Amino acid sequence: MKFMIVGSGGREHAIAETATRSGYEVYTASDARNPGLLAMSKELHVVDILDGAAVAKVAHNVQPDVIFIGSEESLFAGVSDTLRKEGFNVIGASQKTAEIEKSKGFMRKLMEKYGMHGRLRFKTFSNINEAIRYIDEYPGSVAIKPTRQAGGKGVKVIADIQAYLKEEKSHAKKRHVSDIVEQKLSKDLEDPILIEERVEGVEYTLQCFTDGTHIVPLKMVQDHPHAFVEDIGPETGGMGSIAGTGNVLPFLTKRDYDTSFDIVKKVVQAIKKETGEPYFGVLSGQFMLTEKWGPTVIEFYSRLGDPETVNVMPQLQNFDEIVNGMMNGNVANIDAKFEEKANVVKVVAPKGYPNERGMGKGHEVAIDFDKVAQSGSHIYFGSMYEENGTYYTGGSRALEVYASADTVEEASQKVEQAISHIKSDWKLFHRKDIGTKALMQKRQDQADLARDIFRYREARGLIGKTIDWIPGIGKIET
Amino acid sequence: MAGICGIYAFDEIWNVSRFVYYQLMAIQSRGQEGVGLSVTDYEKVRTLTASGTVQESLLSEKINELTGPAGVGGVSTRGINGYVTEDVAIYYDGSVELTADAVDALRNDLETMKEEDAVRRFTSKLSGAYSMIILTKDKMIATRDALGIKPFVIGGVGFDLAVVASETSALDVIGAEFSRDIEPGEIVVIDKHYIDEIKSEQRKDPAHCIFEYVYLARIDSKINEIDVHEIRKKIGVLLAKEKPVEADVVIGVPETAIPFAMSYSNKTGIPIDIGFMRTGRHLRTAIRPTQMERMIGVQLKLNPVKTAVRGKRVVLIDDSVVRGTTMRNIVNLLRKRGAKEVHVRIGSPQLVSPCPFGTEVPATDELIAVENTEDEIARIIDADSFGYLHLEDLKKALGGECYCSGCMTGTYPEV
Repeated sequence: MKFMIVGSGGREHAIAETATRSGYEVYTASDARNPGLLAMSKELHVVDILDGAAVAKVAHNVQPDVIFIGSEESLFAGVSDTLRKEGFNVIGASQKTAEIEKSKGFMRKLMEKYGMHGRLRFKTFSNINEAIRYIDEYPGSVAIKPTRQAGGKGVKVIADIQAYLKEEKSHAKKRHVSDIVEQKLSKDLEDPILIEERVEGVEYTLQCFTDGTHIVPLKMVQDHPHAFVEDIGPETGGMGSIAGTGNVLPFLTKRDYDTSFDIVKKVVQAIKKETGEPYFGVLSGQFMLTEKWGPTVIEFYSRLGDPETVNVMPQLQNFDEIVNGMMNGNVANIDAKFEEKANVVKVVAPKGYPNERGMGKGHEVAIDFDKVAQSGSHIYFGSMYEENGTYYTGGSRALEVYASADTVEEASQKVEQAISHIKSDWKLFHRKDIGTKALMQKRQDQADLARDIFRYREARGLIGKTIDWIPGIGKIET
Repeated sequence: MAGICGIYAFDEIWNVSRFVYYQLMAIQSRGQEGVGLSVTDYEKVRTLTASGTVQESLLSEKINELTGPAGVGGVSTRGINGYVTEDVAIYYDGSVELTADAVDALRNDLETMKEEDAVRRFTSKLSGAYSMIILTKDKMIATRDALGIKPFVIGGVGFDLAVVASETSALDVIGAEFSRDIEPGEIVVIDKHYIDEIKSEQRKDPAHCIFEYVYLARIDSKINEIDVHEIRKKIGVLLAKEKPVEADVVIGVPETAIPFAMSYSNKTGIPIDIGFMRTGRHLRTAIRPTQMERMIGVQLKLNPVKTAVRGKRVVLIDDSVVRGTTMRNIVNLLRKRGAKEVHVRIGSPQLVSPCPFGTEVPATDELIAVENTEDEIARIIDADSFGYLHLEDLKKALGGECYCSGCMTGTYPEV
């Protein structure tokens, strides 16, 4: 069977590999010649993957049995709708339903309207002055984001607790809302600025296949958004991720998993009611375990995560069963089966990522594949290209290095060994701390603390509630 | 003695000078004689210095003169614990001497070689203990001597700031999250585009300053992976077990000895009371430079609460005895207010030798413990009895051998 992938990153490389392993013949429509995808694909067609007609042309050429759209921007651009109209069998959300990822304003309003678990107070703004006025009127801890999905760019989480630092923080918030608008991070959205309640806790991702009614959840994964070691530094698309031996992450509980799954289910139903279209494809919930709700929604992806794909795909044992179910429009009674091993993915990025990608572009990288293989690790290509047998960085996250083992710590050590065989004259960096015992313990402590406070609030019927008492006005419950 | 701190923003929307100012306040207890604060705007490193405490130095009024996304600072018991030029600011806690030549060589090396190599070359020529922050026009570099004598921690705030400091109190004050201790011999280079952690290749056994746990560090700090308050409470329990006495009330000498007194009271069942009220600001009397200043400090700080001690047998607990003059004064104050008996207990072992690593322990001939037994000290300070914490007990409380206890033994690790 012919399996066509739309996309160009490490995520698509991992999907291609799993498809190949599952007996499919892989074809790719991509906007870059990703060396990993090139190696996995019978044919790789370089095409504008945001252009539905162009991708359809490739598809008519290939005549695939199924098309898997990896990239969110293709979904936002309506590529899945075009392909479906042309009669292809597509795994990928429609333009309308992918709005759940594209616009955090849409997502937050939907959750509000349907009174869902794990929602946060928010407000969107169409211009800078309005947002600045709001910041002056309601000083406090907030997350300020571009309303549109911007690949992790432009997210600031500012805890504004110390009264003596208010002025500095207010100044930073205002400059940041200006930056979001001036850098056009929300592109064409009418309300480019999103300010929402700031929460803290442990983040994790639950990726699911869905036919619009039934849902097949994959194992939980934890991504690491900070660029640098020790959870320090700017927000990125993700510098690495971990998964435990089972479906539940080591520091989370079955209840956390069930609640998160339930949220995804309700969102799938709500999207159908709201848009009139079934959600068909991959829906991933990016959650945080907070004291306010337990599982709390940070954002949704209308596709698999990157690097989180690499935590699930290599270990997925019945990819073909899921794909068949999706092709038939029904994934009822299908459970994703995984190898019972923990795993770790670490991203290797060139200096310059994430804030000045231009400077990280075009640098030679040498990989000793034999040594990498000896370490028991595997490399997935991200933003890289090949010329005359030499690999070069593309400026964004270059490589994703994966290993599985009995424990997260062991897997992390294997990956570290592999990364020591990746060399460049340009500075490459990765997060040594991902998957270490110390960081795992820190996550456990963070999760325990959030759960303790959550349980106390739960016992008092305070879940999801905020109660303020304002002098002269009185009690306000929200 | 000194405290150091620094902040580095990855985004230019931040002006960090006031953040550093509050960090300095949070490590004020490490030195109250001099303060320095330097901020870079990527073009130039600008510095403010003053004598006295952070708040009294009026730095607050001038702080707006400094703006930029990265800044460092220090408080000290003598002048400015650093070296500042227009393109680099260095602050340290420790016993090293920074000469103009050495700093010039460092500035030059930072231009021409990898930061870690430049810093390694710079520190290899220093002798002594140091936890040190080097701020350049666009980087912040933190490094700690191979024995890890002085404390040093790193943390972060959101997606925006990296933070380093002598103690975690300077992380808490700005809402930063603690990540870990900087390791002995480690160099951490913080740049807009990366953080490099270069661990030392020659690993020696660490020798963390043990005096931090009995006196120097704040109880809300965690250093070398140990919560200071936990140790102070354990010390009170050990004193109660090893140096028991029949008494009616336990009084702690503010501020450092209060946790000792609390847990001594909990352990023995002898009630604790508030024995002293303070006039004026909080002063660390033991680290004031002159005898007269220490006297003024004690008298202002320690006005006895009469009803707490009148007609009672008092266990008086303090954190250390250096020369004994201060303690004699305090015992006298209590007797004059009607205390029937005064039994002095000290939450640290005998100080018998000066500190070569920058902590102001006086010369040997000024230390009361060098020549005198506990009984003799009791007679000198006019107390009914006197007892120290055993060094072995302190080590037991800390659970390890990775400490420098030179001021209590006269034996020092080699830096």
